[in-house]
Amino acid sequence: MKQHSKSRIQQINEIKKLIREPFLFISILVIFYLLIVFVIFPIFQVFKTSFMVDGHFTLKNYRDVLRQSYYIRPLFNSILLGVLVATIGTFVGFVFAYAITRTPMRGKGIFRLIATFPMVSPPFVVALACILLFGRAGIFAGLLGNIYGLTGLTIVETIAYAPTAFLALIGVLQAIDPSLEEAAMDCGASRGKVFSTIILPLALPGIVSAWLLVFIQSLADFGTPMILSGNYQVLSVQAYLQITGMFDLARGSTLAILLLLPTVIAFYLQKYLLSKKSYVTVTGKPTSATIKNLEWYIKYPVYAMCLIFAFIVLLFYGMVVWGSFQKLWGVDSTLTLRNYVQMWKIGKKYIKDSLLLSFIVTPITGVLGMFIAYLISRKQFVGRNLMEFSSMLTFAVPGTVVGIGYILAFNNPSFFMPVTLTGTSIIIIALLIFRNLPVGIRNGVAAIEQIDPSIEEASIDLGADSGVTFRKVTLPMITPAFFSGLANCFVRSMTAISAIIFVVSGRWNFITVAVLGFVDNSQYAQAAAMSLLLISIVLLALGVIQIITNRLGKGMQSFSIIEQ
Amino acid sequence: MKRAYLELKKLTKSFGKGQDMVVAVDAIDLDVQEGELVTLLGPSGCGKTTTLRMIAGFHTPTSGDVLIDGVAVNEIPPNKRPTAMVFQNYALFPHMTVFENIAYGLRIRRESDEQVKEKVGRIMNLIGLEGLADRQPRQLSGGQQQRVSLARAMVMEPKVLLFDEPLSNLDAKLRVSTRLEIRKLQQRLGITSVYVTHDQEEAMTLSDKVVIMDRGKIQQIGSPVEIYSHPANRFVAGFMGKANFLEATVKELGESEVVLEYCGKTITAPRWDKSIKTGDEATIVVRPESVFLDPPREDLIEGTVVNSVYFGSQMLYEVEMPDGKLLQAEIADPQDHLLFAKGHSVGLSFKSRSLHVLAKE
Repeated sequence: MKQHSKSRIQQINEIKKLIREPFLFISILVIFYLLIVFVIFPIFQVFKTSFMVDGHFTLKNYRDVLRQSYYIRPLFNSILLGVLVATIGTFVGFVFAYAITRTPMRGKGIFRLIATFPMVSPPFVVALACILLFGRAGIFAGLLGNIYGLTGLTIVETIAYAPTAFLALIGVLQAIDPSLEEAAMDCGASRGKVFSTIILPLALPGIVSAWLLVFIQSLADFGTPMILSGNYQVLSVQAYLQITGMFDLARGSTLAILLLLPTVIAFYLQKYLLSKKSYVTVTGKPTSATIKNLEWYIKYPVYAMCLIFAFIVLLFYGMVVWGSFQKLWGVDSTLTLRNYVQMWKIGKKYIKDSLLLSFIVTPITGVLGMFIAYLISRKQFVGRNLMEFSSMLTFAVPGTVVGIGYILAFNNPSFFMPVTLTGTSIIIIALLIFRNLPVGIRNGVAAIEQIDPSIEEASIDLGADSGVTFRKVTLPMITPAFFSGLANCFVRSMTAISAIIFVVSGRWNFITVAVLGFVDNSQYAQAAAMSLLLISIVLLALGVIQIITNRLGKGMQSFSIIEQ
Repeated sequence: MKRAYLELKKLTKSFGKGQDMVVAVDAIDLDVQEGELVTLLGPSGCGKTTTLRMIAGFHTPTSGDVLIDGVAVNEIPPNKRPTAMVFQNYALFPHMTVFENIAYGLRIRRESDEQVKEKVGRIMNLIGLEGLADRQPRQLSGGQQQRVSLARAMVMEPKVLLFDEPLSNLDAKLRVSTRLEIRKLQQRLGITSVYVTHDQEEAMTLSDKVVIMDRGKIQQIGSPVEIYSHPANRFVAGFMGKANFLEATVKELGESEVVLEYCGKTITAPRWDKSIKTGDEATIVVRPESVFLDPPREDLIEGTVVNSVYFGSQMLYEVEMPDGKLLQAEIADPQDHLLFAKGHSVGLSFKSRSLHVLAKE
């Protein structure tokens, strides 16, 4: 009791301190308002709708869904697909990470590039390539049977999300000191024994965490199943169809919640695994990696797998390029630029909208993310943890759920938002900002925490006031992270689909939605042309920002622009 | 003569190819007798660690051989070699307890549970790790981690025990006590050992034999006394302890002494190098502790004090010599001597028997 009252006093003191800094106080209030309106309120709406029938609280929607196999099947299907993709993807990612960190393989840079490339393109581009290759008019038509279903989904999502596992695992394997392996060999352990007794146990938490990451991504994926699922129904697409096809908001929300639960569980399980003090902290000085005399029966299978996966990635993306220049895929293979012309005619508005909205969203997200990161890591105030939690929330929530939430929340005026946002550009901008905010915040927190407060103190000690210190010391140190946050945000905005598809309208539309439209009309060549345009824009933006970061980041800890 | 237990024959290791090729170890020959502790000493990049790693099997020699107990082990992978290594960063398995760490190699060898328990228990007592069996490595202090690493290597009863700068991560005090323990243990168990370090004090206090390496080549092999008092060249003299070098000319050769001329004065030194001839240029190695300082006198070399530092037990001087070079002098027990300050002129002389003459390189 006593402790409780004490913390009360502390809280009151913190509030008092805040009021003395009016700018800070007001900005915290504004941020909380925005987080409530654009993060918590929509998700709450999805929950509410799923528990409502005719304005009464009821579990009827859940009972219905669980009773009818038509609705329960998508849940099992989604989970089965997630497990398959996570397992294969993690395996592929591990082999790649092992090859890069533990073998003298040649051309590591190129392999790394190829392995991370799918991350900058929307996953449905891979799905499109899959149709061009194995679909009814594909080069290898019928080779894999019916591509529309579990097989196709597994292949495409593995290609799209193995890079996530790869990036997570490369960090894990790099953190395992090679001298541990040498010590084990020195004690008489064979290469296999070293792997099973040293590397595997040490990497296990990282492997599980990578598995969960891929599982979440597969579960939340919308574009791929939209194109490829055929009769294999998955939750994200079914929830979308319930709402846009059947106008059944309650059932759509219920399916969305069923999608949300496993995702959130997996997300927090993954966070828990990472927060647990891992073994991968070494004492003493880490020695440089020494990869010598690897046995052929380890080397060659690993190399072969890397080559095969790299070949598949190149084949898929190559197919999109090739397809975009053909008159009629599978029928008339005359090379032509007609597809680009047509794509441009139809897609000009989509492209303009996407670019305009992304250019608006990116700097706002960057500044807001950095500011929240600063508040979270350097300020004490009531509700700090709540702010951190709610701003990171959209990270864990699948886009489909967020999209449905935005429809439910902003179709009509409400207490929080007195005007209808549906159909405006504001709803798209808000959605993109708050979907991408977690990435900016995480980048910012990492950058700010990297700055030892004594560095700032040193500057003040040398005669600079706090303004000059911020400008000359703090700002240059967080700038690279800021720009890499911008890059991330831009890529994610341009390639977003799962949530965006719910809020686009005739007035404001999006390039990714246009690609899906082309695919829906079997206009694969135009879809390919537009996908390539999208990828080119993204790569161009990444290149520009990379150049800026390199200029600014001389001697600074480098921030990789592509990360999960 | 007894055959060496560990032999390195024309052992060479180069990295890279063509233009970028770096010869890390350049055709070195070395014999280590059974039960001996030999130190490889040298600056970083001299090839000492590469040599050690070739003995352990982590590097394959470019050419030359490693023989252990008369058997060439070049083709034997590290996990089959009768060597065990104590790593610089200890390399303890972080997911295993102290007991499991030490037992790891025995388990790999499929020794019985009782045997493992017995051997691990014995070595833990010997090394002073009683009661720590169930700890995780991260719960141990640096010194304890170091002991576990040592125990893990020793319990394998290797034919050759290898040390890769095992003390460099310990603080100065612990380093001194641990190296004494390592030496005692090594002597008691009679384990043939090769020890890599860049710390000359460590090498001197630990070793039966010191091997000085520089740029991939062995500069000198000898007991600590030999190396300190009769360095083979300027590099060894400068690396092993502090040294001043005086450029002089040989005037006379006696049976056991050399008379040299330095800045118009004569200096007499013991004659070791028989190749030196009258009229040759030569370098005199003068250890700072072999210098006497007195007030200037006709028969002494005159210099000027440019710096003096008082340490209590000794006085450190920097003296400018007539040829313009600086000479360091350490005067022990300064209370018993005349003290000089900056700017004072002094007369220098040397303890003849401690001087060492090198032929001009």
